[in-house]
Amino acid sequence: MTIRRPIVWVHGDDLSPENAAIAANPVAPAIFVFDDRAIERYKVTLKRIAFIYECLLELPVVIRRGDPAVEVLAFAREHDADAILTTPSPAPGFRQIVRTLERNLPVDILSGMPFVPDLHYDLGRFSRYWRTAERHAMSAADE
Amino acid sequence: MTADLRRDFADRDDLSVYLREQFPGATARGEDISPIRGGRRSALTALARIDPVRYAATRNDLNGAVTRLSPYIRHGVLSLAEVRDAALARAIEPGQAYKLVQELAWRDYWRRLYAEIGAGVWRDREPLKTGKRTDRYAPDLPPEIERGETGLACMDAFARELRETGYLHNHARMWVAAWVVHWRGVRWQAGARWFLRHLLDGDPASNNLSWQWVASTFSSKPYLFNRENLARYTGNRYCRECPLRDACPFDAPYEELQARLFPGVPSPDHRPAARKDRRR
Repeated sequence: MTIRRPIVWVHGDDLSPENAAIAANPVAPAIFVFDDRAIERYKVTLKRIAFIYECLLELPVVIRRGDPAVEVLAFAREHDADAILTTPSPAPGFRQIVRTLERNLPVDILSGMPFVPDLHYDLGRFSRYWRTAERHAMSAADE
Repeated sequence: MTADLRRDFADRDDLSVYLREQFPGATARGEDISPIRGGRRSALTALARIDPVRYAATRNDLNGAVTRLSPYIRHGVLSLAEVRDAALARAIEPGQAYKLVQELAWRDYWRRLYAEIGAGVWRDREPLKTGKRTDRYAPDLPPEIERGETGLACMDAFARELRETGYLHNHARMWVAAWVVHWRGVRWQAGARWFLRHLLDGDPASNNLSWQWVASTFSSKPYLFNRENLARYTGNRYCRECPLRDACPFDAPYEELQARLFPGVPSPDHRPAARKDRRR
């Protein structure tokens, strides 16, 4: 399927202007949503919100608040979008949101430059991970 | 659909006033704005200052050449790969950047584990090695700890710094965590929740799994420190003024603390050389 009119969903794990989803489509409308429920659940203090907000002010995004899935889908409808571009996150909440979005529109998750290549790592202890990762971690990505 | 939040601000004060209006709940929990600024520009300024060689030599010291990049890395303002590349570029040979790159690798490791276990970061990964059952630990953080009103100059200062800046040096985080869990007998989850409310770099992956490392539910032994260790890496700045300096709960050799805090548990080797002076 060809994506013609995507929107970009920027989330709190990827607040760089070089975010892979923005880079892939710099003219696409982009949105960030403050998750009101998560702010209350984790009893987040204002300084964390302010830090994120200052990051957002350097990004070409519309800033809203509420339920991320609901707001992203509303934004997609406003722009008559046919897909949602975003970047990965390990958080369980992220997967839940993506599942909701996917019931309505295709979601394309774009990755930036990895720290180490996606191999199999034994995550039982850091030392075991490091045995496999060290060689890759110690080489510059642009070499 | 909600209305768009504002993007035009005269300055930081203007932004603060607006955010206090918009987020009254978060403001009630703590209205401080951190001196650490968000955004790619501030991140690149901090990145330009990293010094991998001094980092390796002094990172355990509270005044050491730590990078303070963690809030930017946690929110993806800087990628681990670009910080690594910057560290290698600054080193004359790659070995000079080894310690710093390894710390970045810890972050990568925590994230990978989080992707695998998800909400499992909130549960004990393994049984405690403290000789005590989980239900012997208090579920909630005593309020005087959070308020920084325990009388321990070091811990009270760390609590205040956490609240006011949203940042703590890693060594201070480890001391606080060890004190909360092992001396005060509080469940690591309560401490982890406290840190997550404040830390600009707070996320359940690095934060919770590090608390578990200190608690011993994700390591082979509980992490301990003593007064001598804290005094050395803080230049003795807290102990000098501490109202409890003659009744310091940390003032004992490791063997004695081990026996006092974990009675019946065989003593691991606490010599600094064997402990690699710091975590894990």
